[in-house]
Amino acid sequence: MSDLLRVDGLRKRFGGVTAVDDCSLAVAEGTVTALIGPNGSGKTTLFDLVTGYRKPDAGRVVFAGRDVTGRSPGRLYRAGLSRTFQQARVFPQLTVVENLVAAAGHRWWRLAAPRVSAADRRQAETLLAEFDLTEDADRIAAELSYGRRKLLEFAAVLMSAPRLVLLDEPTAGVNPVLVERMEEHVRSRHAAGVTFLIVEHDLSFVMRLCDPVIVLDAGRPISEGDPSTVRADPRVLDAYLGG
Amino acid sequence: MGEPVHALVQGLILGVLTGGVYALMASGQTLVFGIMKVVNLAQGALVILGAYLSYQLFVSFGIDPFLAIPVTTAVMFALGVGVHLAFLRPLRREDRAELSLLVTFAVALLIEGVIGVVWSTTRRSINTSYANDSWTVAGYQITVVRFAAFALSAGALGLLILVLHRTRFGRAVRATVQNPESARLLGVRAERVAALGFGLGAATAAAAGSVYGLLYPFNAGSHYDLISLLLSIVVLGGLGSIGGAIAGAMIVSVSSAVVATTVSPSWAPMTFFVLLLAVLLVRPQGLFGRPA
Amino acid sequence: MTWTGVLKGGVFVLTLAVLPLLGLPHWVLNMLIFVLMFAALASAWNLVGGLTGYPSLGHAAFFGIGAYAFALLLHGQTELTDGWQPFAWLPAIGVGTALIGVPIAAIAMRTRADVFAIVTITLLFVVQTLAFNLHGLTGGAQGLSFPVAPFPADTFERPFYYVLLGLLVLAMLLTFGTLSSKIGLALATVRGDEDKARGLGIPVGSAKVLAFAVSVGLTAMVGAVWAYYQVGIIYPQFAVDPLITIAMVLMVFLGGRGTLWGPVLGAFVLESGQQYLAYELGPSQFYLIAYAMIFLLIMLVLPRGVLPSIAGRLR
Repeated sequence: MSDLLRVDGLRKRFGGVTAVDDCSLAVAEGTVTALIGPNGSGKTTLFDLVTGYRKPDAGRVVFAGRDVTGRSPGRLYRAGLSRTFQQARVFPQLTVVENLVAAAGHRWWRLAAPRVSAADRRQAETLLAEFDLTEDADRIAAELSYGRRKLLEFAAVLMSAPRLVLLDEPTAGVNPVLVERMEEHVRSRHAAGVTFLIVEHDLSFVMRLCDPVIVLDAGRPISEGDPSTVRADPRVLDAYLGG
Repeated sequence: MGEPVHALVQGLILGVLTGGVYALMASGQTLVFGIMKVVNLAQGALVILGAYLSYQLFVSFGIDPFLAIPVTTAVMFALGVGVHLAFLRPLRREDRAELSLLVTFAVALLIEGVIGVVWSTTRRSINTSYANDSWTVAGYQITVVRFAAFALSAGALGLLILVLHRTRFGRAVRATVQNPESARLLGVRAERVAALGFGLGAATAAAAGSVYGLLYPFNAGSHYDLISLLLSIVVLGGLGSIGGAIAGAMIVSVSSAVVATTVSPSWAPMTFFVLLLAVLLVRPQGLFGRPA
Repeated sequence: MTWTGVLKGGVFVLTLAVLPLLGLPHWVLNMLIFVLMFAALASAWNLVGGLTGYPSLGHAAFFGIGAYAFALLLHGQTELTDGWQPFAWLPAIGVGTALIGVPIAAIAMRTRADVFAIVTITLLFVVQTLAFNLHGLTGGAQGLSFPVAPFPADTFERPFYYVLLGLLVLAMLLTFGTLSSKIGLALATVRGDEDKARGLGIPVGSAKVLAFAVSVGLTAMVGAVWAYYQVGIIYPQFAVDPLITIAMVLMVFLGGRGTLWGPVLGAFVLESGQQYLAYELGPSQFYLIAYAMIFLLIMLVLPRGVLPSIAGRLR
């Protein structure tokens, strides 16, 4: 299996804090890789660097064999790399369907194309059904519960048929029933060939779902391997407990 | 020395002296933005109101505008706090960013209307005995009023900076500006800081207004020109940065003055717009601002 | 386009089209002209301030540019034989202004909404100052003169009325077209969460600039018609007047930002109200206070505007 995503020597400083420090890791294609670590270990910053929301001070990001360091998030999205955010970011005043259609990566230069065409709706229908959002299709996204907005955000980034999906804390603030759903969706998409990189604090979720698991501490990876190996690694325990 | 050089240096002097006053006004403006992330479109109107208050004290009681400053600043500080409590506090958080622009715009109109009713629309100016005096230093003319205006503004700015760095309130303000979430966690009462900050902004407008009234004739409608200038300065310097406001004021003022004396006064107003666009093109967050 | 929508639009336009033929007194027609004018302006502003969420506080600058462009085009002539011919300049003025709007939008909309508002206010001030200062071009404070429209006195208002009605219909069609197309969806994402929109590969920059260009083009055309309506001369303080921007903004806010009928409703209500206030309260400063208070009331009580509040209540 080749590496779909590789990160070499990434560094990012904010004022006096080095959030990501000479970080090198890789995500093999076809895996559900987890990225865990204590608070402040640089996980979200790493996501921001990989997806182009922030520019690194040093280092490279290689996606599907091409150097994409510092490319804009929009271009990466079109290249097949999508992400979700910690606080379910959807377009609150748009309907569920519109949220999905907006994420589908259209040929936007066709100005006169209808806002939501029949073809758009059909494309969204499969995802709506899969994520059990069909009833809410025409409701304003702001009216959905937090958990369902997270599902919507997840569904939306799948509209462009990405190769790699970065999920930033998908289970945070979500009730256990929806957490199970989230897990099912990841599994079914994974079976369909999508690679995942998931930042998570819910370690049982990680243990059930992910392999390999990469542990980040103070901006760089300190351990990597299958869940049970990582769990037994003393360095990992140190990182979570120690200072 | 040749004519053009003389004009240039005269322009520079004029620009620096006037820049001080604008720096004071702009600091109040940028401070409010830093605390509340609100662009106060009423700042110009507050300055003009300050000018009118000084004017009235001068005309009715013979009080020199510089001496009236303690009174006008106190009154306008209270007014600023009142405006915040009445019109900005009631806005819901999610609406605040979008609506505050328009709300403060409406407050500016309100002030303009009230000024027009109380003082009518004739142009006023504060003509003290020394209004036309000037000194000649090394062949360059320095009007007494402008120099005093500069000295006062520098003093007031110094006081403002002192308040921000040496008092507990000032620390709370700076914490709120840099990181509202942490500030809240540390016990800083955001709404209180916001209200007092707005009052402080109005106070700087009052001080600047007294001085402004000495330098230029004004009427109710003068706030439009002023607010455009102030906003450009604040954006140029970087929203939320007092150092940026001072730098921006100096740059804009000096450039305008130099253009006025060397090219033509008609084109001076364009200079700050051109500068604004030029800076935004290269550095959208302004000279000292932080990237979005 | 639903059938009720077409019906609503049709009845609206037909009613307005018929009004001037009913022999109404001149002051009523004059008032209606201003209502139509502001309805068109409000709809135009809505494209930028409502659909895109970028509050332009300087749109009056483009109104003034349109007015002066028109006056300048006619300035040289001593007399007009065909009163309708000058209207032929409108498309050129509209497109020309839209083109000017492109680089301005490209720079001003790179930043956040409040910086954009500031740049537009500054632009308004600069245009007004230039109007006063460039004596050679604009006649400065003395105003710029041009031949009077040679329409018969008893039906003088009609041509202006119908042209403005036409501009209003154009503005509404453009708004409707935008709302129901992918461009409208793109603008809505900009308004909702621009960063995320950019991250999804949505061309936010182009969409914003396009909306701005169309908006200012429309505004300029209305300004040109206004100029023509001012019998023979325009002055800078009226052609480039901040109060025009304020009116536009307030009307859209009242009626409902981002909706099709909101700006029109806001214009009809406020402009009629304004004419009434001006009549009752006379001196302009009281009227300014009343305006400001209404403004504040709407912001604080009905921040979403009338139509969206009603729609929300019904849901």
